Amino acid sequence: MDKVIFHIDVNSAFLSWEAVYRLHILGEKTDLREIPSAVGGDIKKRHGIILAKSTSAKKYGVRTGDTISEAQKLCPDIVLVAPHYDLYDTSSKAFMEILRDFSPCVEQYSVDEAYCDMTGTMGLYGSTVVAANLIKDKISSELGFTVNIGVSSNKLLAKMASDFKKPNLVHTLFPEEMEKKMWKLPVEELFYVGRATTKKLHTLGIHTIGELARTDLDILRSHFKKYGELIYAFANGIDLSVVTKEETPNKGYGNSTTIAFDVDDESVAKMVLLSLAETVCARLRKDSVMATVVAVSIVDFEFHHASHQMTLLTASNTTNEIHKAACRLFDELWDGTPLRNLGIHTSKLVSGETMRQMNFFDMDHYEKLSKLDKAVDVVRERYGDNSIMRATFLNNPIYHMTGGIPPEKRKPNNKEGIKE
Amino acid sequence: MNHMPVDVIATFNVQGKIKPNYIRLEDDSHALQTYKIESIVYSKEEKYAGVSVLLFCCNIKLGNCMQMINIKYHIKTHQWVMVNELHETKETPECL
Repeated sequence: MDKVIFHIDVNSAFLSWEAVYRLHILGEKTDLREIPSAVGGDIKKRHGIILAKSTSAKKYGVRTGDTISEAQKLCPDIVLVAPHYDLYDTSSKAFMEILRDFSPCVEQYSVDEAYCDMTGTMGLYGSTVVAANLIKDKISSELGFTVNIGVSSNKLLAKMASDFKKPNLVHTLFPEEMEKKMWKLPVEELFYVGRATTKKLHTLGIHTIGELARTDLDILRSHFKKYGELIYAFANGIDLSVVTKEETPNKGYGNSTTIAFDVDDESVAKMVLLSLAETVCARLRKDSVMATVVAVSIVDFEFHHASHQMTLLTASNTTNEIHKAACRLFDELWDGTPLRNLGIHTSKLVSGETMRQMNFFDMDHYEKLSKLDKAVDVVRERYGDNSIMRATFLNNPIYHMTGGIPPEKRKPNNKEGIKE
Repeated sequence: MNHMPVDVIATFNVQGKIKPNYIRLEDDSHALQTYKIESIVYSKEEKYAGVSVLLFCCNIKLGNCMQMINIKYHIKTHQWVMVNELHETKETPECL
């Protein structure tokens, strides 16, 4: 039987969810989706980029990733709202739940995108387009926001189809429609083709997906190696990957933060690293894994990136140990340039149940520290992140657990439910 | 006008069904008045943006006139709000 794959994509997800929340839960009268508006970060904290924008803001040329000042220049009347990740999490879960009503095999691809394997559901819902419209309309009537659905026989083509005209539409892109619907598109529209590749392809005289599909594979191989084969296959609509329900395990855990001021003091930087180590290690411990490789990344005030990594003697997930490694890396990496962003990334994971190699020179009392971490995790789980913190963070502008989503951005108006 | 948080007395039966009985609203002189919910016209569950809410369309008696109001119960936060819809904002102020 031929496969039937849907790719479902929420139209300007964060903005739509914000709009529906304000309309139906807070009872506001303006629909953010109907005016030039965007969800954006906090300029004062230098998190000032556009995360999602409305269709009418798009008409002014506002793009996701633009800085807030750029967006305001393009569209002076733009209404900006702060993000609330807890709400997006709720909306995303409800969205996935509806998809699971329709298909036993749903793969969540991101917070606002999913693949559904709809093979063999014709007997239930009729033709594929009818089924897609059913899902689309159910989401819009029950949850209040709109989606685009791409219908095809594999994941790649379905994803390409969901990106056609928006919003609130169903598109098909079966292999026989490729020539008409996909090949005329500019090559940068192809999934997996980024800015760097686009530039390279343009110098080769390849401007549309069709041109890429008809290019000699050996030419692509010589320029792009293995990746050339992948984009060649994609341009020809070939994608052998299957929709999988199981989540693929994390390959690494990392957190980074943009600091509200430029850091030029070593002790401050190390404090930031400690607060990052707190959250990264808490995540490692939560999933009962330990990391063998620790990496530190920095971005200086001129946006130059740099990173440095090392392998630990034995895998670990204790905050102190990871922080110590991070500090060593930081000392080797940093030349004193003021920094705007710091990050810790851990990888080469091993299961937390593995025996730890005892170290004769363990001056850090690993066992004690790991027990302490466990106790702290339990306290924080029960009484909140701020119930216990290292004394060094007292009266300190640096939050003791940096990375991920800060608490003030999670909840709408800092409070679930109703605005007071 | 946004939805307004309100105080409600409700009963919860053994099947988990929720029924609002009394609602407390401000009158013209900003004094709190308790009104009996005379009847529930209909109720339904909403899930806009994934937030579970129970909507009750009910009648309360204001002096001699019956007034239809919509109130919502937020399942997660256990809060009650009164819905201020356009057609209602026209009527409610003078009645209350």
